[in-house]
Amino acid sequence: MVRGCLLSAGSSGLAGGTRIIITAADMTERKRADEERQALSLKLEESKARLEEAQRVAHIGHYEWNLIANRVTWSDELYRIYGLRPQEGPIDMAMVGEMIHRDDRERVFRAAEEAVRNAVHTEAEHRVVRPDGEVRIVQGLGTVKRDATGRAYEMFGTVQDITDRKRAEEALKRSQLYLSEGQRLAHMGSWAFNAAGFDYWSSGLFQVHGLDPRGKPPTVEEYLDLVHPEDRDFMERQVHKMSVEHRDFDFTKRIVRSDGQIRHVRCAGVPLTDGGTFKGFIGTGIDVTEQELLTQELRRERAYLAEAQSLTHAGSWACNFRTGEIFHLSDEALRIYGFDPSQGPIPFERLYKATHPEDEPALRGKFYGAIQARMDYDLEYRIVRPDGAIRTLRSLGHHNPSHEIGEYIGITMDITERKRAEEERARLRQLEADLAHINRVNMMGELATALAHEIKQPIAASITSANALLRWLAHDPPDLERARAAAVRIEQDNNRAADVINSLRSFYRTGTPAEREIVDVKEIVGEMTVLLRVEADRHSVKIHPELEADTPKILANRVQLQQVFINLMLNAIEAMKDTGGELTIRSRRNTEGRLIVSIIDTGVGLPAGRSEQIFDPFHTTKPQGTGMGLTITRSIVESYGGRVWATVNQDTGATFHFTLPGETEAHE
Amino acid sequence: MKPAAVPTVFIIDDDRGMRQAVQDLVESVGLGAESFATGQEFLNRQPTSDPSCLVLDVRLPQMSGLDFQRRLTEIGMQIPIIFITAHGDVPMSVRALKSGAVEFLTKPFRDQDLLDAIQQALQRDRAVREQQAEVHELHGRYQALTAREREVMGLVVSGMLNKQIASEIGASEATVKIHRGNVMQKMQAGSLIELVRLADKLKLVLPK
Repeated sequence: MVRGCLLSAGSSGLAGGTRIIITAADMTERKRADEERQALSLKLEESKARLEEAQRVAHIGHYEWNLIANRVTWSDELYRIYGLRPQEGPIDMAMVGEMIHRDDRERVFRAAEEAVRNAVHTEAEHRVVRPDGEVRIVQGLGTVKRDATGRAYEMFGTVQDITDRKRAEEALKRSQLYLSEGQRLAHMGSWAFNAAGFDYWSSGLFQVHGLDPRGKPPTVEEYLDLVHPEDRDFMERQVHKMSVEHRDFDFTKRIVRSDGQIRHVRCAGVPLTDGGTFKGFIGTGIDVTEQELLTQELRRERAYLAEAQSLTHAGSWACNFRTGEIFHLSDEALRIYGFDPSQGPIPFERLYKATHPEDEPALRGKFYGAIQARMDYDLEYRIVRPDGAIRTLRSLGHHNPSHEIGEYIGITMDITERKRAEEERARLRQLEADLAHINRVNMMGELATALAHEIKQPIAASITSANALLRWLAHDPPDLERARAAAVRIEQDNNRAADVINSLRSFYRTGTPAEREIVDVKEIVGEMTVLLRVEADRHSVKIHPELEADTPKILANRVQLQQVFINLMLNAIEAMKDTGGELTIRSRRNTEGRLIVSIIDTGVGLPAGRSEQIFDPFHTTKPQGTGMGLTITRSIVESYGGRVWATVNQDTGATFHFTLPGETEAHE
Repeated sequence: MKPAAVPTVFIIDDDRGMRQAVQDLVESVGLGAESFATGQEFLNRQPTSDPSCLVLDVRLPQMSGLDFQRRLTEIGMQIPIIFITAHGDVPMSVRALKSGAVEFLTKPFRDQDLLDAIQQALQRDRAVREQQAEVHELHGRYQALTAREREVMGLVVSGMLNKQIASEIGASEATVKIHRGNVMQKMQAGSLIELVRLADKLKLVLPK
């Protein structure tokens, strides 16, 4: 039994615990063997050191578990992984068990037992709690060795500290999660595109397009199908441009989701190159529907505002008059000043210089006065536009609540037309007043003839009676009775003449203020009937006053009321001048105590459908008419709070009605 | 009953004061006068055989004085008219006078102007009435002629000789002479010239 012996080569001194078996065949070769051994030992030392170095760098340790002796030996690195100082000899397994993270412990042991019992390889990832409390993640691998009978006698394995890798992986995972979650929240996604089509779509991008994130990125054709039909041509052109120009792009188009929802997707991309060679594009797709709708809404509102400003010729602005800085100046404001808004902003000084030279001094005083006093202002002034047109503006400035000196917001309106219309109205009013006077003068002319007859009649009669009286006296003997009778007639006739003159005297007063007194309408109708009798007779018109006993007295200007009656009665007579007829004047008190007068004729009636227009100024059907008679009538009646209107009679002719407040009502 | 010889002045004026005054004035010079407010009232009155005239206001309610004048002509009532008016114009007065008015006076007028016009009008009415009376009497004489005598008279005043007349009516010249004598006697004509004048007054339509 000299043939050999088994030597343990001091495994404890060797890192990694590799078992070295040396066979000595012959003792005679011992010397040579010693030498060889020495060389070998050196080599061994070297490789042990290298192995140890390698294990340290890779954070890998190894162990041997003698299953028969139930003894475990660790490499130095394994000790370090466990946060322990490397030591000789077997390690206390109970302590190791304690160091495995409580939650992993059972699983690790069960895996080892399982491997020993049934399997050859085992693999387990678990946490280790170092003595200083630090938790490390390790991956253990083990191989079970069995003898010819299948009995397991040893387990050999490695343990790698994968904490750093694991943490990096988790960080990556987390950042990926954050990214995709961020994309989801931002309604955006990313993509990659190369010559073959879409290479990559992030889940966010699938969501943006309403697609299942587990699907494959669409082909270009599929993608175009997603695009809104109205944007499809545009999109096709963009894709073509991308492939030709290889340039950055950023545009927004609409897509239609499978549920029919239309979304606005902003698509931005940059070209991807590798060493100057074009590889494709990467980019993002963002659902900007809400922003787009908001933008559209904003645009619409701006358009409405601009439209409103343009319609009202009102421009808005905000500026600091002290610094001349303009914060806002609407297009209409520029247009009001005669500038083209598309030409860009105009400095404040230039706008101010447009002020009409005649208005500038006054404006300057008020304008700068308001600014210094930090007061709101409301100014009216003219400007001269670049083309020489003169416009009248009204500017309202509100001192900004920010209380910056000189800062104002306001609007400026072009009131030229309004101003012109106001002047025109004033002119028309004057004209109307003039015409009213002229009308009255004309009417006087017409009436003068009638009046002459009316007054001449009693005078002529009295002269004739006087002649007769003289002749009765010249009789021999004088016929005194007949003479007295003639004298009585003379008196009557003269009184009659005086009455006519009295009733008309008021017509000769012009321009006197409208003094109001309590007027008996019946009396006025009586006077007017007398006054117009001749005119009526000439046209074979009979006048029938039908005045109810309770016709209210009214508080009015006598002359004006006479004018109302004269106008309406002359109109009625005029309407019957070719046919003759009847002119009826009715007056009564209505339930509210107001006076209602109706002047009814049997004449030609009213122009069809024009019963309102006949009251308009200058509306006339008579060749010589001024068209103001009814206008004046209406303005008088309305000045008393009354109303005048016309109706067509059932049989023939027309009726003009007017209401006036009764005396008591007018007093209130 | 007033004496038959007193002429009457009719006054139509819608102004009571005026028509009373005129009536009084007319009566003060001893003429008869009646006044009316309208033309119709006047027409309703029985016509008079005495000399009369009409003082007529131009402006009347229903029918103007000028229209009333035409109306009177239409119904064959011949009465001289004096127009009075508060303000007449020239065309109006021309039209009135052309239609046979005696005078056109503007109120107020001088009383003498009216009375003169009335006298003139009455004079004219008297002349007309006399003429009418004469024609009336001539008619009576003419009515007394036989048919043959009227035929002969017509031929005589047309200037035919007895011989021509005889051949015209198919009778002897002697018979014509007898008829002619009867005509002269019944018509109370002293000469052929007088007979022609009478025939003219009767406005006989002479056979050609």
